[in-house]
Amino acid sequence: MSANLESESSASDYLDQIERLPTHEREGQLFWKLRLRESRSQLRHLFANARMRTSLVISLSIFFWVGLFVLFYLGFDFVVGQVGLPGATYHAQTVHFVFTLFFMSLQIMLIFSSGIILYGGLYASQETDHLLTMPVRDSRLVLYRFQEALFFSSWGFFLLASPMMIAYGVVVTAPWYYYVYLPWLMISFAYIPCVLGAITCLLLISRVPHLRRIVVGIIALLVVAVAYSSIWQTLDINDADLLGAAWFKQTFRRFEFTRGEWLPSTWLSNGLLEAAREQTGDPGDLPWFQSGKYLIVLLSNALFLHVVLLWVGGTVYRPSYYGLNTRQARETHVHMAWIDRLAEKLLWFLPRETQLLIVKDIRLFRRDPVQWSQFIIFFGLLMLYFANIDRFRQHRQDISVLAWVNIVSFLNLAVVGLILSTFTTRFIYPLISLEGRRFWILGRLPIERDSILWGKFLFAACGSWLPCAGLVLASDVMLRVSIQVIAIHQFICLLLCIGLSGMAVGLGATMPDFREQSPSKIAAGFGGTLNLVLSAIFILLTVLLTALPCHFYFMASESRLQTQMVPPANLQLWLTLGLVGVVMLAAVVTIVPLSYGLRAFRKLEV
Amino acid sequence: MIHFEDATRTFGNRTAVEKLNLSVGKGELVALLGHNGAGKTTSIKMLVGLLQPSSGQVKVGPFVVSENLREASRLVGYVPDQPFLYEKLSAREFLEFVAELYGLTATEARSAVQREVERFQLGAFQDRLTESYSHGMRQRTVFAAALIHQPEVLVVDEPMVGLDPQCIRLVKDFLRAYADSGKTVLMSTHTLGMAEEIADRVAVMNASKLVFEGTVAQLREKVPGVLGTLESLYLALTNESVTEGNVNGDIIKISSSQAIEH
Repeated sequence: MSANLESESSASDYLDQIERLPTHEREGQLFWKLRLRESRSQLRHLFANARMRTSLVISLSIFFWVGLFVLFYLGFDFVVGQVGLPGATYHAQTVHFVFTLFFMSLQIMLIFSSGIILYGGLYASQETDHLLTMPVRDSRLVLYRFQEALFFSSWGFFLLASPMMIAYGVVVTAPWYYYVYLPWLMISFAYIPCVLGAITCLLLISRVPHLRRIVVGIIALLVVAVAYSSIWQTLDINDADLLGAAWFKQTFRRFEFTRGEWLPSTWLSNGLLEAAREQTGDPGDLPWFQSGKYLIVLLSNALFLHVVLLWVGGTVYRPSYYGLNTRQARETHVHMAWIDRLAEKLLWFLPRETQLLIVKDIRLFRRDPVQWSQFIIFFGLLMLYFANIDRFRQHRQDISVLAWVNIVSFLNLAVVGLILSTFTTRFIYPLISLEGRRFWILGRLPIERDSILWGKFLFAACGSWLPCAGLVLASDVMLRVSIQVIAIHQFICLLLCIGLSGMAVGLGATMPDFREQSPSKIAAGFGGTLNLVLSAIFILLTVLLTALPCHFYFMASESRLQTQMVPPANLQLWLTLGLVGVVMLAAVVTIVPLSYGLRAFRKLEV
Repeated sequence: MIHFEDATRTFGNRTAVEKLNLSVGKGELVALLGHNGAGKTTSIKMLVGLLQPSSGQVKVGPFVVSENLREASRLVGYVPDQPFLYEKLSAREFLEFVAELYGLTATEARSAVQREVERFQLGAFQDRLTESYSHGMRQRTVFAAALIHQPEVLVVDEPMVGLDPQCIRLVKDFLRAYADSGKTVLMSTHTLGMAEEIADRVAVMNASKLVFEGTVAQLREKVPGVLGTLESLYLALTNESVTEGNVNGDIIKISSSQAIEH
């Protein structure tokens, strides 16, 4: 009892301090102030120290946006030409179908991405741990992190959807209020799936923290399975029936689930279509008013879900954080895996120290899910695409189809190269920088420093060659190109792997950043950006040097066309010269950065 | 000011802290000692609200931490073992943000920042981005942030790691002076020499249990036959207590009341 009295009297001692704690709104203002200061500082840094990367990102984004705008403009122009202007029955049905399907897909992606980003922000962030020790309300903390998740998950949505919506408005000559409504419709729509993702994330961690990855994985697999089967059923049809009336009706019915009246994607589609259409003669028919109603539905739902998120965050977040952080830690026992033994056997011809260095890098790679999961996702998606490009099998004798097959096969080769270049930039380029703080181990070992660099080069080149060769082969087999083309593609693929690995390892050793411990930040620096740009140029030059002569040579032989302007002997010469040029280019791209890297690495002092 | 009352924290089947009873009064500096994995950081995390006790409770002043988190946090300043700084803010901007989150007005925050900048000699780099700071500069900035609201309780986890001798002297003098000004300091450390030099009492944890609490002189009495520094006493105690703990689970302990009497 006396202790209680003492406690009560003591509590009043601190009343002044407690009462002065900021209000909910004031906390919000402070976090906005923090964010503005950080953003300003980040922008200043970008324009002062990373001009090349910033210009590149801005230019590519503009290029991407304009490209999408043109694509959508042509697409809608075609649709309007076929089914009439807004107001026509088929126009409304067709565009509504496209919009609902498009926004439904993005809606699901927004739910996943905001949930996953919020998970990282709330449960695996040093900043959050820091803020949790301060007198910040849990709901405010959740909102602060959610705003970040909203931004990072929805910028892609705006980049994709804005050119589409503006293109549609331009094609159908939408009234001015269409463009006024557009941003508000899009923002209020994006907010809803993002909040749903955030609430799902909080509830999932709160209820089943130990099963969170399995649950997310199962849901993701189900979504992929439904999407894949729908697309498969839609496209699994003879060419003659494709885009016919029966096919359209069937497809329209198949995707009926995307047009549910309770879906935000449907509200957005309806809002846009209403705003874009012309007013009829009926004085009671007010498109701006109809569209405004959908905007209000979206806004009110977004605000309602915002309140729910604050409540769930305030109630569930802290207990779920405790629950997640007090799970029994898994004890991981690591041992020599079969893949390490296999790698050692496959590398029998190399010196023992190089073998050990390569096996070490393989172990680090397979124990880092960030690396191999991205590898699997990108290469898996490519494989999925390559496995479905067999539509060219029909009409094999048609010269235009043959031309397309040839072009697509080389484009696929370029895509594999470009994906590989992002991996060599993201994962291979930072390898030397990451050795910085551990360099005393390698630096003091009785091995040549050159062996370390050669080890990394071989690891990158051999590791990337096998999956890339497999992908290119899959594409060629599905397209049924000739055996000569397959051989040429495999040869170019090998050169790309060697060149890209040499460039990444060489530049990584020439411009190391030992202060930075995050590989993504190392890759995002000047050296990483330079590596990415040079890699893209190398890939494009390589593919162009071989694709053009190859195209003309095989087109001439397969279609038995006798080109009078360019005799076959000349075509063969061009092809040979192209291949020789590619070999020389790959040699320069490999040897020059590697020799610079070796020189810099020998002189390295850490 | 700090009261661990039968505080227990488990991680699945593993017990990280078992029935911890420890109190630290106003004007006291207590050093929490123990091997890696003994339960020091878990205890501190329960104190600052990063973990909740599985059973028992932790109080800061009159507030039970798990029930009055905001109120308890207002009274505590915390320097973690792995400090966090916003890389794209300067020390001044970071300190102003922290000060205002603790409820200081903009004017009060500015003068509090000035006070801490002078105390921890941050003047030369206060307007540079923290991403360019050395470890010592970062640690001093974190100390300044923990003290910006002049907390009643200062909790410090491994404060000396990576600091140069000048910084170590600065931190030691400061911690002692802070406790002497009537505030409460709980410090987890492996630097036994420092604990011996500045702490009023030491609390030794071993295998999730508190095995000793009292002054170094009391520890000397408790571990007869071992003379010399706190280091030798600590090693003797932890080796002994491991054996005893495995046999019958007894705790060697001197109550806080005894410690105060001494």
